[in-house]
Amino acid sequence: VIELAYTRAADAADAIRRAEGDNAKYLGGGTNLVDLMRENVEIPSALVDVTGLSAAIEDTGDGGLMIGAATRNTAVAEHRAVRTRYPMLTRAIVAGASAQIRNMATVGGNLLQRTRCTYFYDTEGARCNKRSPGEGCDAIEGFNRNHAILGASPACVATHPSDMCVALAALDAVVHLRGAARERTVALCDLHRLPEDHPDVETALEPGELITAVQLPSSDLAAHSTYRKVRDRSSYPFALVSVAAALELDGDAVADVRIALGGVAPKPWRAWRAEEALRGRPATVATFVEAADAELADARPLAGNAFKVELARRTLAAVLQQLTDGARR
Amino acid sequence: VPSHVTDDLAATEIALDHDELRERMSGNLCRCGAHNGIVDAIAEVYAGSGA
Repeated sequence: VIELAYTRAADAADAIRRAEGDNAKYLGGGTNLVDLMRENVEIPSALVDVTGLSAAIEDTGDGGLMIGAATRNTAVAEHRAVRTRYPMLTRAIVAGASAQIRNMATVGGNLLQRTRCTYFYDTEGARCNKRSPGEGCDAIEGFNRNHAILGASPACVATHPSDMCVALAALDAVVHLRGAARERTVALCDLHRLPEDHPDVETALEPGELITAVQLPSSDLAAHSTYRKVRDRSSYPFALVSVAAALELDGDAVADVRIALGGVAPKPWRAWRAEEALRGRPATVATFVEAADAELADARPLAGNAFKVELARRTLAAVLQQLTDGARR
Repeated sequence: VPSHVTDDLAATEIALDHDELRERMSGNLCRCGAHNGIVDAIAEVYAGSGA
């Protein structure tokens, strides 16, 4: 029997106080953490339940939205302002998991969910640098069809599994954090870090820091956005490749664009290079493919996932064409 | 709540057609071999409920 303390936090300050000291974890919906505990991948000594903290979705007064970290994924997806002003976010959320899981899972928990790399979960039979730093990685020479083509390292090739975070990366979302000493914000794009030599360190969070909210900045572009997820079955699995994109035309040219990719990297992958290659250029398939190629120039596929490079290229071009057709209608 | 197969996210009423029912069954029911019959049964009960 593994001893485990469970308490419910009354507010953010209370949560931070309760999580001090030993190996405590904040518990949201538990849709990932509880699985990890069952598999002995995570063995916390205490759980601080933060589902009683803010689950409000409020206008920020400047055209943006503030989403409390305890908001359930379904509540975000169905919110009218999200559906109409940030449709890629609703589409990303409803593309993930199942209705039951989305009803339980919180926004804060979604950001901090961990990779579904099977070697990471296999505590008995596989080596994993993310689980046991320095041990080695069995995915690099193993079954790596689902693994990363961008941003990986010789220590780790696992992907970040979230759909929601891909949309949040494209939307320039800002994550609000609170620790024992201070409050601060960090861009969603800077929250997750690349593995390099330390795949066990996945985020910019300091010990004990709590995600309190996710802020969506005002964006005219975001109303013309979508999310497309390519996966082995049309329901339930994680993405092989996904694309979150928003696009605005000026005549026949791309006025502005935001793109992020999922399923291809250790973090939600903002496609800065593709965006750069698109701004001011004619909105044609040739431009879209060129932009995808610019983003994928550094792709380093493994033995099992070379198909993801071509899949990402085609999916990105197709999504940009879809948004262009929609803007002209 | 819109689903993965909902075209118009701004719609206030979402018609529960064949594709919507199938998507909304995901996670609820094992559909191996029997799902066509289950979709028909849901559609029949839903139509009869006056909803």
